[in-house]
Formats: sequence, C-alpha cells, structure tokens
Amino acid sequence: MTATIEQTDVWFPGFGESEFSNLIAGCGEQDAAARKVAFDRYRLCPVPTLRDEEWRRTDPDRIPFAGMKRLEGLDRAADPDRNDLDQAFDLVISISDRGYAITDRTGILAEGKAQVCPLSQMPADALGTYLHGEAVLEANRKYTQLNGAFWNVGFFIRIPANQVLAHGILIRYEHTTPGSILLPRLVVVAEAGSVAKVVEWYQSPDDVKLLCVGARELYVREAARLTVQAVQEWGVASTHVGEDWARVEKDGQIDWVTLTLGSGFSKMMVGCDVAEANANAYLSGLFFANEHQHIDQRTLQKHSAPHTYSNLLYKGAVKDSGHSVYQGVIAAAPGAIGVDAYQMNNNLILNTGARADSLPGLMIDADDLKCSHGATMGNIDPHQLFYLQSRGFSEVEARRMLVLAFFEEIIAKLNDSFLEDRIRADVNRKIG
Amino acid sequence: MPQLETDSKLIREEYRYGFSSDIPEESFPKGLNEEVIRAISAKKKEPEWMTDWRLKAFRRWQKMTEPTWPDVTYPPIDYQDISYFSAPTQQESPETQEELMKTFERLGVPLHERGRLAGVAVDAVFDSVSVITTQKEALAEKGIIFCSITEAIQEHPELVKKYLGTVVPPADNYFAALNSAVFTDGSFCYIPKGVRCPVELSTYFRINAIDTGQFERTLIVCEDDAYVSYIEGCTAPSRDRSQLHAAVVELIALEGAEIKYSTVQNWYAGDEEGRGGIYNFVTKRGHCRGARSKISWTQVEVGSSITWKYPSVILEGDHSIGEFYSVAFTDKKMQADTGTKMIHVGKHTRSTIVSKGISAGRSRNSYRGLVQINESADHARNHTQCDSMLIGATCTANTYPVVECANETAITEHEATTSKISEEQLFYITSRGIDEESAVSLVVNGFCKDVFKELPMEFSVEAIKLLELKLEHSVG
Repeated sequence: MTATIEQTDVWFPGFGESEFSNLIAGCGEQDAAARKVAFDRYRLCPVPTLRDEEWRRTDPDRIPFAGMKRLEGLDRAADPDRNDLDQAFDLVISISDRGYAITDRTGILAEGKAQVCPLSQMPADALGTYLHGEAVLEANRKYTQLNGAFWNVGFFIRIPANQVLAHGILIRYEHTTPGSILLPRLVVVAEAGSVAKVVEWYQSPDDVKLLCVGARELYVREAARLTVQAVQEWGVASTHVGEDWARVEKDGQIDWVTLTLGSGFSKMMVGCDVAEANANAYLSGLFFANEHQHIDQRTLQKHSAPHTYSNLLYKGAVKDSGHSVYQGVIAAAPGAIGVDAYQMNNNLILNTGARADSLPGLMIDADDLKCSHGATMGNIDPHQLFYLQSRGFSEVEARRMLVLAFFEEIIAKLNDSFLEDRIRADVNRKIG
Repeated sequence: MPQLETDSKLIREEYRYGFSSDIPEESFPKGLNEEVIRAISAKKKEPEWMTDWRLKAFRRWQKMTEPTWPDVTYPPIDYQDISYFSAPTQQESPETQEELMKTFERLGVPLHERGRLAGVAVDAVFDSVSVITTQKEALAEKGIIFCSITEAIQEHPELVKKYLGTVVPPADNYFAALNSAVFTDGSFCYIPKGVRCPVELSTYFRINAIDTGQFERTLIVCEDDAYVSYIEGCTAPSRDRSQLHAAVVELIALEGAEIKYSTVQNWYAGDEEGRGGIYNFVTKRGHCRGARSKISWTQVEVGSSITWKYPSVILEGDHSIGEFYSVAFTDKKMQADTGTKMIHVGKHTRSTIVSKGISAGRSRNSYRGLVQINESADHARNHTQCDSMLIGATCTANTYPVVECANETAITEHEATTSKISEEQLFYITSRGIDEESAVSLVVNGFCKDVFKELPMEFSVEAIKLLELKLEHSVG
C-alpha cells in the first residue's frame, strides 16, 4: 500500500541474485533483458508482512517458498494431452510438468487472427508495452515482480486490430510434481476493435503440494472487447498467489470472471484501470472456502479518466473452518468526473466457525461522479428455505439449491455449458 | 439543468466562537514528565491510587508510538511543547466568575436558572477545570451523581475505581494512554438503578488558553434499567497555532439501561490555508454490559482541523443495541477520519450505523468502520449506511469499512455511496421558486436528516444552522 519503494534486498528462498544469474545465462538476449527489468524492481519491493494493512488477515509467511523448487524445463512438448473442454476453443495451450503444447484447432494463427508465442519470443514491437508495464497499477508488488523475473511458463497473446475470435483461447495448467513452484505469466493485448475470449484453467491433484505465483497483464485497446475467465481448481495442498492487472482504453470493455474453488491458501489481486473515456469493466468473482481453505482477494477498480464505468460483483461462501477475505477499492483520480462505479460483495456464511471478512473501500478524489458499494453477510434466507421445503424438498436439497442459486448469477457469466456444469459440480461437492 | 457555476463556491458562515476570554489563568510550564503528572494530580487533590494510575499509564505511553494509519497528515506533534494544565487563577473571584458567565452566555450555554427551564443540567469545562456544574442538588435527590471527574475522584472514589478504565484501558491506544496520564477534567455521571434522568445532562468544553492541550475524561455509568441523555458541545478561539484535544469517553450500560450520547463538535477548524485549528484525537467507547442495554452515539462533526474519532460499542449483553449516527462536515483544509466500531459478542445483539460525510473545499473526509460479529453472537444483526456528498472538485471522500462475520445466524448489510450534490434535486427545488442558496441548504439538510432526527431538539436546530451553506459568487 505504501507508495515509497525501499531498498530491501530481501529474497524469497530460492529466488535470489545467484539463482537469477544462473537463470538468465540460459535465456535469449531479449528475454534476459526483460527479466532483468523485473528483477531490479523485485529487489526493491518490500516483502509483505502481517503488519501491512492488506496482509493483516492473510499471513504471507504461509506462502511456502522454503523447501520448494522452481519448476524447470517447461519447453515445448511433442504431444499435447487432450481434454473435453478443448473443442469449445479456437486454440488451446496445454501446460503440464512435461512442457507446453500449442494446438491451433481452427487455424487462427495461419489466418493471422491471433498471435500466440512464448513470452521469451515476444515480437519486438510489443516489447515496449511489456517493459513499461502500464497495466501494472502497483509496480512495487513483490509477487508481480518476482513473477516477471523468474516466470517459468509465459505466453504472449495478441489479437490484431478488428479481428474477432469466434471461440477464444484456452490455457490449461495441469501439474503433478510435488514441491514445485510454478510461475505462469500471461500478456494479452487486444488491439483496437478486436473481440476475444481467454480462459485459464488450473488443476492439480489434491495431495500434491504445489505453489503457484502467477501474474497477468491484459491490455484492451480502443473499442476492443476482451473476456477473461480464470478457473482455479488447484488441489487443497497447494498455494496460489495471483496478481493480475488490466488496462482498458477508450471505448474498450473487459469482462473478467475469477473463480476460486481450489487450493488450501490463496491470495489474489485483481487490478483494473479504466484508463480512457468510455472504458468499461465488468469484474465478477466466485469463491467458496470450505474445510480449512483460506481465500483472500483484493480488487482495485481504478478510474484514472473521466466518463469511465466499472461494475464489480464478487460472491462467496464459507463453510466448515473456511475463511474468506474480500478487500475492494474503488479509486477515482482527481478530475475523474462522470464516473459510475459499483462494487458488491455478497457472502454466505454456512456455519458458525467459518468466517468471512469484507472490506469494501471507496477512495474518491473527484466530485461529479457516482460511486457506491455494498456488502452483505448472512446465511441462506430462512423464508426461501421454508418455501422450498413446503414444496416437498428436503432441507438438504433445499439448501443445496439455494447455494447454487446464489452462485448462478456468476456461473451464468461463463457462457459455456461445459465450464458452467463443471463449476456447478464443484460447488455442489463443496456443499457436501 | 443548472450547473453550480465553477467560479462560485459554497461557504459556511464565519466561525462565531473564535473569540477568547480575558481571564487571568495560570498554566503549567510546557513539558511532560512524571513531575508534571504528579503536579496535575496534586492540583486535583487526588488520592495516591489515582496518581499511581496516571503514572502507570504514562510509563506505558512512553513505550508506545503514535499511530500513522489514519488518513490524515499533520506535522509531528511535540509533546514537550504543550502545557498540560491551565486554569483561571482566582476562580472564586467575582470578576472571574462574571467573565466566565459572560463567556458561556456568549457561547449560548445556559448556566443560570434558565437552564432549569431548558431541561438541561450543565457541567462547564474551561481549559483544564470544570468551572460550574448546575442542578447538582436537584439531581442528587434522585440519587443521580453529576459532577466533574475531579470531584468524583474525591467524593466517590469507590465508583470511579470500579469503572474508570474498564472500557478504554489506559494503554488502549497512544492517545488514550496520554489522556490517562494527564487528563484534567470532564464529567462523571452515575444514574442509579431504575432511575430515568429527568433532564439532559450536558458538558460544554471550552479551550481558551494558548498552547495548552485539553485532555477531557468522561465516565457515564447507567445502572440496571436507568436512562440518561447526555449532550456535549465544544468550541475554541481562532488561533493560528494548532492545539491538541485528546479525550477519552467511557460509557457503561448495565442490564436494561440506556445511554444516549450526542455531540456537536465545533472546535475551531483552522483557516482557509489549514493554519491553526484543533487536533481532535478522541477515544469514545461504550460497553453494553447487561442484557437489553442500549448505547446510542449521535455526532455532528463540523469543526477541528483534524478529527480522529471512532465512537464504538461493545455489545456484550444479550439483546443489547448499539447505534451510531454521524454527520461529518469538512471544508477548507480540514481532515476527518471518523467512524465507528460495533463489536457483537452477545446473542441477538443489534447495531445500526448511519454515517453521512460532506466534504467541500480542499478537505479530506474518511469513514472508517468495523462491524465484528463474533462466533458467540447468534442472530446478531447489523445495518450500515454510509453516504458521502462531495461539493467541489478539490475535496476527497474515502470509505474504509471492515465487516467480519463468524456466525452463521448473523446478518450484516453494508451500503455506501459517494456522489456530487444532486443536480436534479437542485433543479427541482429552484424550479419551485427557491433560490439556489436555500436549495443547497435544503439538499444538505435532507441528506443529513436521518442523523439530525436523532438529536435532542435544541441540538438539532443548532446542527442545521451549522451546516447552512452560502453560495459565494466571485464577481468578474
């Protein structure tokens, strides 16, 4: 939260100076230079501690760097594995411990409808944007910069101007190596007037201890429309840290859905800057913490220009000993008039012992605007429960229906029956 | 649609209480150490346990650091550059008495018999001492104790010992620890079992001396099924140097008791450039100890260059109720970081928060609040509404609420909005033939209505007047 950058030189175990020198020795020139920029920022960023306002409820020491190893050798694999979901997309990038594979199912690469390549081979003309990192609203974040320096699987996706992808791009992560650290990085540039969807899906077995520190930078240029969906279904033994950033320019729109169902401990940041007039952001989230899960999410709706819009809806449930934290900020810059921003966080507390914290915040520096937020907490409405029971449903069935109904508002935004059913099944399993 | 012209601005009426009184006062030399604390204690003719209590707090304070998390900025305070005690030298002399009466008369505080008709008993605090407490005898007949805290320590040590520091412990926070060490005066109210206090109890705080800090300490105890309405007002002269006011207020409501605490805070707010004004760093907390008890805070904050204040309620007794109604108005370069905490412990506890922030000029106005539902708080209920209105493009309005919920049967709702003064409303009102200035006042008034209606009648009239805005058009 502090704006000042201090010289700290505190590394996470395994991500210090010598490890970095070894890493860039094996990288291409352009890649090494880009990583160096991030590394220099990384070394300056303060390490989050429990004393930071943002981390008061989520102990950064629970992110297990010690004894874990950065996953190496994620190069191109010969044969891609397949998944039922693939057929709903134009292009699929599948990533496993063996490496990655890019499958262009509908030939969009050949047609020039999209550019997809590993981040290390990013086209030179995109490098400026990337190094400048304009979307990264809080450049002094340790995890974002750690990822920038040490990412081990990264992709650059560009949708050229006025291109429309009929089905979109899927990025699948499936990891099974215990004790590994995955640092995925994604840069998406939707050029002027383009329309595209990018879906990311993380999976791992329940008993595999894994750490994922991911970062995303999304650029939505003039009048482009980008849909981003992230489905986090890591196993419960894993830890997930994600810091994602978007910048939406004139007349552009982002529809961004974040679904957090897996991992025992997760800390996420979603920051979106509606940076030019008429830019629009729809941010949605679904999260469900049961058993001993801990889910902490921070969102930032930044309005740095006049006449910009954002609408956020995050819905969560906690059960057993689950603990969720939602921290939201709407920030309107001085002079950002004609802004309309909304933020809503609804929480279901399914049993005593589970805990939900909500910290919706407004930081307003302009006058002629409309910003509002709301937050609710409570259990299922007893009247609705009674009604369903009076129609012959058992209490268990009725509860299940109402929890699913609560989330349906978000699930429906996925607009893909395979994914929707999968999320419903996840929620259903968690209801128990 | 009428736009407020960009070259016009809304201003409040000039600060009317900025005068200072010519009363000979003796002040302690500047500085703070154990000797000063012993001297304050001696001035107040306190028993030894009280002196020790102060010294203990002071030693804790020395180890503490000033909080930096509030959303306010101010130059570092030199605690050695403040005089910690200041009082009229010849309080009993007729000249001083007359001058004091004149001062409070000018401030509109009824210290004479008239007060009886107004249905209010007043404790008037001038710098570091309580100068008069009215209607004490009449109240005593009902068993109500209403006096200065200094007198209470001397006359009712067993009550003070039993309750002082039990809601806000001496080392609760930096400013509370400082207050516990050096507090000078304030009010003590004790309403015995089953008594409904027939008049409103009121304390008026006046800072007069230069370079002094005022450290007020108020303790209100309502025994089983008792009721009291307490009102507090404060003003200070306009000076170009800032003065510190660090108060601690503790409210204790036992079974079935109700305490209604209303404040109109109108300390000097500094000038257009932010010079001078009072630093109002206050810890106010109520404890609903008994079942079915109720504590209600109503505050109208229109003064102080910096406000740091979170009147809170710990809802321990089952079925207890906590309320917080607040209007915080900031203009010029004022900074307010204010809000409330509702801690739900008991079953079926309920809390309501209504906060209205209005920022104008180059001010910063922040709402900071906590609603905490503990595991034990079955069927707890909270509703929070905090709205901010912005007048002018150079002010800031922030909202930092925290809601924590760990009980499945609890329900909390939080809503907040920030917007400009509504042009539709202004247009409608002016279209009915009302001038723009009155229209603005009407809209502001309507915005604050939920809070004003909670105030005792005289206060509500005063509050409305304090928020009257004038439109100043620049000619050219």
